[in-house]
Amino acid sequence: MRNASLVLSLAVFASTFSLLHAPSAVAQSERGRSDSGAPANRDFGGTWERYPPATSSASTPGPLAPSAGPPLLASPPPPLKQQYLAEYEAGQKKIREADARGEPIATGYTHCLPDGMPSMMMAMFPMEVLQTAGQVTIIQEAYNQVRRIYIGAPAVPIEDAEPGFWGHSTAKWDGDTLVVDTVGIKDYVRFRNVPHSAQMRISERMHVFDADHFEDQITITDPVYLTSAWTFTWRYQRKPDYKLYEYVCEDNREFADPESGKARMRFKKDE
Amino acid sequence: MTVNLLRKTGIATFATLLLSVCASAHAHHSFAMFEHDKQIKLQGTVKDFQWTNPHVYIEIDVADESASRKVWTIECANPGILNRVGWKFNMIKPGDKIDIIVAPLRSGEPGALLKQITLADGRVFSNGGPAGTPNIK
Repeated sequence: MRNASLVLSLAVFASTFSLLHAPSAVAQSERGRSDSGAPANRDFGGTWERYPPATSSASTPGPLAPSAGPPLLASPPPPLKQQYLAEYEAGQKKIREADARGEPIATGYTHCLPDGMPSMMMAMFPMEVLQTAGQVTIIQEAYNQVRRIYIGAPAVPIEDAEPGFWGHSTAKWDGDTLVVDTVGIKDYVRFRNVPHSAQMRISERMHVFDADHFEDQITITDPVYLTSAWTFTWRYQRKPDYKLYEYVCEDNREFADPESGKARMRFKKDE
Repeated sequence: MTVNLLRKTGIATFATLLLSVCASAHAHHSFAMFEHDKQIKLQGTVKDFQWTNPHVYIEIDVADESASRKVWTIECANPGILNRVGWKFNMIKPGDKIDIIVAPLRSGEPGALLKQITLADGRVFSNGGPAGTPNIK
């Protein structure tokens, strides 16, 4: 009897010990948090989703948890210079009218092209942030987008910035705010259809509110197209148990009609 | 002639891209090609279930009122969105009987956007938030 009791105690101890020390003992809520030694108020590591959710509108403010700071203001219209404003508004009207007719104009997504910057930070789908020494890497689930922010690296001269979808991002700390500067975005990679020049800069102020929220205040400047800085803010909430899905745009049966530019659906019988 | 055609096509393609990459403001694409106000129910047999990005597709063989058969292509959300509302990559197989509520293409072609699916075992799934909800039962 005493032996049976001893065996039981040893078994309980052994199973408890193994649970505590098993390789899988990383709590799910800790998954993705940084191992870089960053203090909590400078730690963007983990998986996140837009907050409030991005499903309705990128510019609509919504309810916020008390800890997530004051309500967001709706993002203002782009401060385009007068000579570009009419063409921009005509383009937006054309898109609205095409939608109303049920003949949407094909978009970059129709061609399986990713958002690029700054649209990627809208976080239409969840995103993952990896924070390592001297670098923050942001992965957006949609289109497997990846941008790399180099902390403390010298800024890329804007005249030498090779254009890309995510550009060249360098950053420095201003207190506990990570200030990111991005240059080199391809001219047809546009946020809200707004045109820009090679002189466009995207400045971000990324700030952790609490363990579960951070925000990204984005300011776009462009001496060629904009009359003043264009500023808006997106916030994110931690999605601790989430693992990003892969996203290869391998078969979009919506295609751009080569004659009309309208999005249409392709059928298998046509192949 | 050919060069001119290529030039025109190239310009048209570029113009399309120009209009496009950016139309991204609020959603990954417009659902305007579908008639959301004229949703219909379809019953049929799955011919193919394709679990891909940017959309999952169901090919469904439907018998219409005149007893002739027609294959419809049903556009669903993407695997990420569908996983998040409870779908699994292997929950539908060719030969399965399904009931669906869809928004058909405005063009009249046999294609549609899924609103809701009922599997043979009675389980009901949505197509995720961005695709909207059914407005018929």
